[in-house]
Amino acid sequence: MSHQLPAILFLLPLFAAISMPVVCLKHRHWSQPISVAILAAMVLVSILNLYNVLHHGEVRYVFSGWATPLGIEWVADGLASVILVLFSALGLLGVVFTGPTSPKDLGGRIVHYYTLILLLVSSLTGIVFAGDLFNLFVFLEVAAISSYALIGVAGGRALFAAYRYLILGTLGASLYLLGVSYLYAVSGTLNMADIAEKLPFLLHSKALVGGLLFMFIGLGIKMALVPFHAWLPEAYTYAPESISPILASLVTKVALLAWVRIIYWVLNASIVINDIPILLLVAVVGALAAVIGASLALAQQNIKMMFAYGGISHIGIILIGIGQGNPTGFVGGVFYLLNDAVMQAGLFFLAGVAFCHYGVRTIDDMGRVGKQAPWLTGALIILALGMIGLPPTGGFFGKWYIILGALEADNYVSAAAVVLSTLLTLAYFVKLFEAIFRQTSTGSDVPLGTIPLSFKLTLGVTSAAIMILGLFSSPIIQLLLSHALPPGL
Amino acid sequence: MIRPHDSIIVQTLGRFLIPVVQIFGLYVLFFGQYGPGGGFVGGVILGTGMILSVLIFGHDASRSQIVKKVLHGDGVGMLIYAGVGGLCMIGGGEFLNFSNLEIPGLETAARRSLGIVLTQIGVAIDVAVTAVSIVFSLSAEEIIEDSING
Repeated sequence: MSHQLPAILFLLPLFAAISMPVVCLKHRHWSQPISVAILAAMVLVSILNLYNVLHHGEVRYVFSGWATPLGIEWVADGLASVILVLFSALGLLGVVFTGPTSPKDLGGRIVHYYTLILLLVSSLTGIVFAGDLFNLFVFLEVAAISSYALIGVAGGRALFAAYRYLILGTLGASLYLLGVSYLYAVSGTLNMADIAEKLPFLLHSKALVGGLLFMFIGLGIKMALVPFHAWLPEAYTYAPESISPILASLVTKVALLAWVRIIYWVLNASIVINDIPILLLVAVVGALAAVIGASLALAQQNIKMMFAYGGISHIGIILIGIGQGNPTGFVGGVFYLLNDAVMQAGLFFLAGVAFCHYGVRTIDDMGRVGKQAPWLTGALIILALGMIGLPPTGGFFGKWYIILGALEADNYVSAAAVVLSTLLTLAYFVKLFEAIFRQTSTGSDVPLGTIPLSFKLTLGVTSAAIMILGLFSSPIIQLLLSHALPPGL
Repeated sequence: MIRPHDSIIVQTLGRFLIPVVQIFGLYVLFFGQYGPGGGFVGGVILGTGMILSVLIFGHDASRSQIVKKVLHGDGVGMLIYAGVGGLCMIGGGEFLNFSNLEIPGLETAARRSLGIVLTQIGVAIDVAVTAVSIVFSLSAEEIIEDSING
């Protein structure tokens, strides 16, 4: 039974999503409890799967029983299993949060709304587990299409943002597919492990270089790497309050994870093509993203926009860690990815609560309510500690290992970029705290009162998770070091 | 809103053609076992038959009522697929490994054959429903809204 777990993990949300329109035909208010139940079951199954993988080694699941180079393979190794526990937990929190915050005028479409959320979660599972390049593309597209629809669901300004995301996202997917076809033309296979075996004999090929470049640019658009980030801030800002936490914490991270898979599991960590070490390129691009994203965040007035740019800079920091090519940097990068998923979810939960309950959109508005909203300000302080990377939080340990990795690789520019990005992060949070604690704008005509339980729950759990990830960072990093390292390191 | 086509030639031919198209769709669906054909193509042809009936007899005709009902079935095909896959998993194999299809009293070869047919029927239903719903959503937004809300 235990070898079926990866498949169950993917099929559970997929088939729940598909049967949702039939089950909820007459009772549309059932859709949220059903989604919560399904995602809670998914959290349990993913924990079982992690336990199984840690104790019995990685699971390679082939659909329909066709042997690997031909069949469709699911690879449930340490990295995928750890990340999936976190992703399903964040998905569950996201759906708990959607209750009071989803757009009011959805009517019958509320069923389809939850269908899309479950579909999104199942496609993310597919991306994390996929063992071949083409299925990765399929699930990237499923995730992207459900995100377009979810962003645009409220109409108005969001429609424009969703359309822009659609154009750029489709471009990214097409480039990725083009890259996959180049690789297929060179190697004759799509299975990742199979390509990895054949690759050492193909390094002279120009098609390989072209294919990798297309794949990197395609995934770069999906993960909002800096030159290609234009779609992200608007899409996440104008998306419904209930959707942006799920998108911000999961969708961009999973594209990054796909790139990690390709660069370490398909290519080799130490690969050099035309005298250019691929990993160094990743680190340089990451450094640019980390600094530019944080500087742009500093210039924002809208808090969701600010958090979105913060997320862009953190993608860069993770890439810096991944790009060092040593175990310390890699584990730091992955650990920071886990933290960043939690922090982004927390920040957008916070922005959602701030808007839905207090009507706050900008930094100045934040100054109006700051002191009267203890849950909001408390969560904001902890999230800010995590984002800046101060010691008891997980963010600190992630950045610490990334900088250690950079110093180990004698890559001082990368280390400096992490520090600079940290300072800029500090600067934009100081801007926010200045508005709250100096109360620049007066008047307290705020509708006060207790906030709903689901708001307290989501804010509390994400804040606690940031602290727990920090306090238990040592066992988690040991676990990643022993189970999640790619073959070359 | 799609109005009935006012040409008697089109109406008469439609009455004759639609059943033929549907039967041909079913033939292609089941012939997929032995040669070119299968769920996707069969589903497209079945869907085309339904679209044809809406285009010829209009949206409100009694012949089109069944097509409107079909719109609710968009998950049914996938559920059949899931059911077959689930039966394979219960039988101890991988998802969609038909040799483990848990239906008592069948040879392995018969299980494989039955498994493929059932999944292809699922695919055909989904493709047909999708084709119909694309036509409806392009032609009249309020129909979709009504069928969802009502």
